[in-house]
Amino acid sequence: MLYTELTSSAQKQALERFKAKGFPTNKWEEWKYASLKSWNEKDLDWTPAALNENSSASLQTQNGNTSFKGALPAGVEFISFDAFIVANPTIAAKWEQRLPILDQNSLYDLNTALVVNTQVLWVKAGVTVDQAITHDFILSAAIASAVQSRLIVYLEADASLTLIERAFTIAGSAEVLSNFVQEIYVNEQANLTYVKEQDLAQNTTHIDHTFITQLSNSQVDLFTFSLNAAYLRNNLHFYSDGEKVVSNLNGLYVPGEDQLMDSHTVVDHRKPNSESHELYKGVLLGNATGVFNGKIFVRPDAQKTNAFQSCKNVLASTRATMNTKPQLEIWADDVKCSHGTTTGQLNEEALFYLRSRGISLANARTLLLLAFVQEVIDRVTHEETKLRLTDKIISKIQTSLAI
Amino acid sequence: MLSIKNLQARIGEKEILKGINLEIKAGEVHAIMGPNGSGKSTLASVLAGREDYEVTGGSVEFLGKDLLDLAPEERAAEGLFLAFQYPVEIPGVSTTNFMKSAVNEIRKYRGEEPLDAVQFLKMFKEKMSYVNIDQSLLSRALNEGFSGGEKKRNEIFQMAVLEPKLAILDETDSGLDIDALRIVAEGVNKLKSPDNATIVVTHYQRLLDYIIPDFVHVLYKGKIVKSGGKELALELEERGYDWIISALGE
Repeated sequence: MLYTELTSSAQKQALERFKAKGFPTNKWEEWKYASLKSWNEKDLDWTPAALNENSSASLQTQNGNTSFKGALPAGVEFISFDAFIVANPTIAAKWEQRLPILDQNSLYDLNTALVVNTQVLWVKAGVTVDQAITHDFILSAAIASAVQSRLIVYLEADASLTLIERAFTIAGSAEVLSNFVQEIYVNEQANLTYVKEQDLAQNTTHIDHTFITQLSNSQVDLFTFSLNAAYLRNNLHFYSDGEKVVSNLNGLYVPGEDQLMDSHTVVDHRKPNSESHELYKGVLLGNATGVFNGKIFVRPDAQKTNAFQSCKNVLASTRATMNTKPQLEIWADDVKCSHGTTTGQLNEEALFYLRSRGISLANARTLLLLAFVQEVIDRVTHEETKLRLTDKIISKIQTSLAI
Repeated sequence: MLSIKNLQARIGEKEILKGINLEIKAGEVHAIMGPNGSGKSTLASVLAGREDYEVTGGSVEFLGKDLLDLAPEERAAEGLFLAFQYPVEIPGVSTTNFMKSAVNEIRKYRGEEPLDAVQFLKMFKEKMSYVNIDQSLLSRALNEGFSGGEKKRNEIFQMAVLEPKLAILDETDSGLDIDALRIVAEGVNKLKSPDNATIVVTHYQRLLDYIIPDFVHVLYKGKIVKSGGKELALELEERGYDWIISALGE
């Protein structure tokens, strides 16, 4: 492995930790079905070249380099993390003491060691950003590369923001391992809607770590739509660290031929009277592999927590595999928690009913699969995004079933 | 229109149809009656193409084509319709959306131009009046949370939209109160024409008070053991099936 000169001691230490562990292998419990072992042997470019792809999005991350194009909305700042900390000494102290990363893995260290550009999207107190901010996350490399990206989203109290992320690979790119860390801080009464659309190339491996801290009376509606990539891993961690916090986690994955999609979610309820609602659905096509691991922690102080989790999957092919594992750890006694996972095939009786009305087998299957995924898509309130996702999902399912 | 010759079918190892012969011409209404387990619903299912059943012998010709050679969707496109005894609940799919797909797929099969949204609206409105069904019901997820009567009216609405040449009503009267029964039967009667035919599969005679059959057939142990006119249904109502069974020497 070759690395650039590291500047800070923190980076050097992180690199040492990563080197000691390497990429996760299937011997690691949390990476059992989603090994990255082969990357330990690869000759990679660790400092991929700067990109300047055309994009209409105001927020852009091109090969790890994040910038904001055009005028910032009123009450929003976009600055480097270093400048942010200097401008907010009180936050700096809090930041150092932020909650530990659960399910620690070597990739966070790799990111810390090698990330070169960490920016903060900062929404000031009481500011409602009317227009959704689109974030294009773009990857492209001439030779096999590892790309580290990091973004901080900081919502002050009573702020409100909708973020639409579109992660994609430029056509013709070489193999890329993308390691993306986001740390999101949602203060009291703040509101965040965040839609992630992951539609990457078949030679892209993308690992998304999203850590969200929520304080009292805040609400986060997060959507992860995993459409394409050779390998997609989402580590989504919610720290519910206030009272009357609402955390909504929605996920939809449609892995196809030679694709693996792994959703590892953690909801950590630390204070009383909060709620979390988790709805994940998967349609597995071709020889796809899917993984869902959903952890819910209810700490001793978190009385009156309502935490619900549901994960439903349809195997649309006899060659597809789904692995599900809900994990609830509850230390408080006055809580309402439920979880349920199902994995099955399309209902034969429903297929026959549709066919008996003249609908072909392929169209009947598409119709039923779309009906199945619609529940998640319908929760997206941003119309343009909803339509785009619907089109992409219909086309992916139709193409796969036509083979 | 429909010519069934020595039709035999089984599910798993169990023989259910053991040689059915039946001729149906355009304009006719045939009632198929019989005790529970005689094979009535199996016959309806085999004609519609349900894959749980294996046809082990015989032939079925429908409008000059080998029906058994066609997929369920092709049978529908050729003009066959099955009103289900237990219509399936399909969450997330509305009746109107599903009927639009069905109609346009059938039109494509027949080499016709697809209908547009305005044409659908007009057509649906007309057909809704046949069974006194409400738009709000058709916008809801298919059959989900529908009452028994609503489900059966929805079946007849679909029949009205698809205008089949041959409609098979499988125990359409089951689970219906007398008012719902009348509405459903009126719908079926309005759709009757000299060009189409209907098979009414039923256990009880009461549906036949409203849909008057030209022929009544009694199915027993996988065979038609007696055929007659509409008066046979009345006789069955009065005397049950035992006298026919004992006449068979069983």
